[in-house]
Amino acid sequence: MQPMTSRERFRAIVNFEPFDRLPLVEWAIWWDETIERWHGEGLDPSLKDRYDLYKHFGLEQYKQVWVPGMLPTCPQPATHGAPRMEMSMAAYEEIRPHILPEFIPQPSWTQWAEEQSRGDSVLWFTVDGFFWFARTLLGIEPHLYAFYDAPEVLHRINEDLAQWMLQVIDRLCEVATPDFMTFAEDMSYNNGPMISKKTYDEFMHPYYERVVPELKRRGIVPVVDSDGDMTVAAPWFEASGIKGILPIERQAGCDISGLRKNHPNMLWIGHFDKMTMPAGEAAMRSEFERLLPIAAQGGFIISVDHQTPPGVSLENYRIFLRLFEEYAIKAGAMSRDQLPRQTM
Amino acid sequence: MKPELEDLFESILDGQMGDVSRQVQYALDAGIEPEVILNESMVPAMTEVGLMFEDGVCFVPEMMISARAMQAGLGILKPYLKEHGVKPIGKVVIGTVEGDLHDIGKNLVTMMFEGAGFEVNDLGVDVKPEVFIESIQTVQPQIVALSALLTTTTPKMKVSIDAMRDAGVLQNLKVMVGGAPVTAEFAQQIGADGYAPNASQAASLARSFIT
Repeated sequence: MQPMTSRERFRAIVNFEPFDRLPLVEWAIWWDETIERWHGEGLDPSLKDRYDLYKHFGLEQYKQVWVPGMLPTCPQPATHGAPRMEMSMAAYEEIRPHILPEFIPQPSWTQWAEEQSRGDSVLWFTVDGFFWFARTLLGIEPHLYAFYDAPEVLHRINEDLAQWMLQVIDRLCEVATPDFMTFAEDMSYNNGPMISKKTYDEFMHPYYERVVPELKRRGIVPVVDSDGDMTVAAPWFEASGIKGILPIERQAGCDISGLRKNHPNMLWIGHFDKMTMPAGEAAMRSEFERLLPIAAQGGFIISVDHQTPPGVSLENYRIFLRLFEEYAIKAGAMSRDQLPRQTM
Repeated sequence: MKPELEDLFESILDGQMGDVSRQVQYALDAGIEPEVILNESMVPAMTEVGLMFEDGVCFVPEMMISARAMQAGLGILKPYLKEHGVKPIGKVVIGTVEGDLHDIGKNLVTMMFEGAGFEVNDLGVDVKPEVFIESIQTVQPQIVALSALLTTTTPKMKVSIDAMRDAGVLQNLKVMVGGAPVTAEFAQQIGADGYAPNASQAASLARSFIT
């Protein structure tokens, strides 16, 4: 098979078609402390920019725009997780001028568009989602009370957020159509979703229904970003039209085999257990062996499940990359024997 | 269960804070002993909430409004409990370890501890080992509970436990740990006495430590 461009490879995997190899991707940037450690272990200290680091390590250029939902004038929380506003409609009206501004893409988006048109880069964007954004305004604990204490405020926030997202999509697509996007939610933990399906259906699903069809109409793959165990919530998102979920944290109890079996058409991104990386080559190889059969079926982009932590040495990271390339090629070869399959 | 206590039980399950406050006062006015109100209605209600949480029937918001309702009732009840010489079933010192600012998990556990009848001394987040030690020396708890949400801060759990051991405060003290990156194996490795995967099981574990 002829080598594919990054975009061709991404599309093939999303569509469960044969692919040349898996993309070598770090979907999330490394911890600052990780790069700092590696600088001390011989990594060129001038390498700091995310995309320069991708190039240095031989990773693919998956280029991300995180579209901010707040202006710099928005009140800052006093401490981590603290509120920016009180739980009332009046407080929301007061903060409204400082959030969800008209979006204008940075000049870099135009440059990236050229790379995308050559197939060299996969472009994606991220917006705060229908759980996350309200939480950043109300504070972590007040947000959880708000489902009962102030549902009308949550609905208002999400109505405005959905409308704003549509404007963001329009503006980005004026220059280049992103290949995929993520709704940042972080609504799950080790025990599964923080909210019930009933709460999801009332406060999140209707707003996904506003935005996801527009994404799909334009060919943008919608993905949800939520740490934790997404097993219970995966069908909720699938019913909302979401195509994929990342990072599928292994430590949170996620099992890719079960997810693939129950959601054969969904895209999974991540899931490589970062806790194997400090342990050495044998542990990392064993982890790749675990993931290979599912990756070869398509619909699964292996990547470190969340950020490579500072406990991983530069030497071990290079071992990880060597193994990643080995298994990326294996998965591609296996895919050409198995795919395409009929989408169920 | 007396009808007044049944209504109170249901109101806690439903998270009806205003009703709980009213119903606690009503039960007191009806001559029901405060420890009976607590132990035959309120604590069982929170135990039921914990079981519903473990069974996936209720989730974090539902647990929180129930715990808030419980706390509202306790606010009415506490002076009467004190007057009757009713003590908490135990004392807990809890905190998120040094370098970690996350507290939602810790706060849920605190709510469930209080719902189980414990007196809780919450040290907050980013708690240095010496702060844990000082609180243990002051409060004289039966249990100290450590929380961490990041893989980069879980090592501080061992640091804290080792410091407690060096300070000689681990005698007659149980250490329990929890948080997203924490496992039972990790808890054993660092010398903790127990690990709980969620707030409800943390309360059950704490109860088991004092019985």
